[in-house]
Amino acid sequence: MSAEEKTVNAGSRWRLSLDTWAVLAAFLAALLIRAGVFKHVPW
Amino acid sequence: MADAVVIPQAKPVQPALQFLRVIPGVLLLAAIGYAGKLLEQNVGAYAKAHHWTFPNIEYVLWAIVLGLVISNTVGVLEIFRAGVATYEFWLKAGIVLLGARFLLGDILKLGGISLVLVAIEITGSIAFMTFLGRAFKLKPKLTSLLAVGSAVCGVSAIIATKGAIEADDEDSSFSIAAILALGAFALFTFPLIGHFLHLSDKAYGLWAGLGVDNTAEATAAGALYSDAAGKLAVLVKSTRNAMIGFVVLAYAVYWASRGQAKTVGNKAAFLWQKFPKFVLGFLLISILATYHVFTKDQVGALANLSRWAFLLTFAGVGLRTNFREMRKQGLRPFAVGAIGEVVIAGFTLGLVYSAGKIFGW
Repeated sequence: MSAEEKTVNAGSRWRLSLDTWAVLAAFLAALLIRAGVFKHVPW
Repeated sequence: MADAVVIPQAKPVQPALQFLRVIPGVLLLAAIGYAGKLLEQNVGAYAKAHHWTFPNIEYVLWAIVLGLVISNTVGVLEIFRAGVATYEFWLKAGIVLLGARFLLGDILKLGGISLVLVAIEITGSIAFMTFLGRAFKLKPKLTSLLAVGSAVCGVSAIIATKGAIEADDEDSSFSIAAILALGAFALFTFPLIGHFLHLSDKAYGLWAGLGVDNTAEATAAGALYSDAAGKLAVLVKSTRNAMIGFVVLAYAVYWASRGQAKTVGNKAAFLWQKFPKFVLGFLLISILATYHVFTKDQVGALANLSRWAFLLTFAGVGLRTNFREMRKQGLRPFAVGAIGEVVIAGFTLGLVYSAGKIFGW
């Protein structure tokens, strides 16, 4: 692994991955729908 | 996966600024996706009103084609690029939300069948791509990247493997270009072949999930066939994605044993790092829906939200496909990828047919 990549990895230790952000966003949306904030999502 | 987005950022950017940077591109994705939806609704009605014979083209195809036309004519302006790259985020959020439309029992049943098919597909694909790479005298690490890309989950798998086996940037660019070009090709050919062979939604969904490499393209190829096929394609593709850690670990151990990559220390941590977290989110939402945490209307709302997320994804698939850029990457890796993909498509179709015979579909 190059020095540059090592630096990137070390810096990204505390960053959430794209997957995790997507899961959190989806669960937030599900929570808002469950709580009745959004009663209907049109299509 | 996440690495694909995080690694290329050379300069640290303030989170607020980063958020603002993605807005124009996200708006572009939404505009193209919505235009696709409007075209689906209006073109068919217009053709019918004027007594024209015109096929019913779904919003999925309109959104992809609009994106392709923009990307390959005027190109994607710099201001939109950061936002367009978020299509992976919408894809994964959409898959998690789609979990609400699956009962846990269905997932266990279909997931069990697809797990067996996925294991056979991964083994067969890696073996064949390795053979092809050697026959075409490609560099061994380039062969590894192409094999992982076609066996597991396209670009994400290539990026994950690149870091683990310390492959060259050039090799990963070659592999990504080949996999993306072939994914774009599969997007249009899979539904045509499926209709030609009169495949059922179940058979086609399984085939698209097994045979199309990138998750976005597999989702789109499934949705182009039918809603039911799209659901199943996502489930099978997610099962394939879940295997990524094991395959990348195997390659990392192999190349480390040859002294050409760093040794993997904590294998469990490595597997967790590579595991696609959205698969867990998908399962969790499905469990919540199965145990009636959501009402029927709420499940409908979650399903519609998932459709909106996929709409942005499909626009992104078109926008990020640039044939000129792909041509620059050279012919040999593309030829290996193309031969491999055709054989894998035939192989997976045979697997689906066999499974259909066994399970009586």
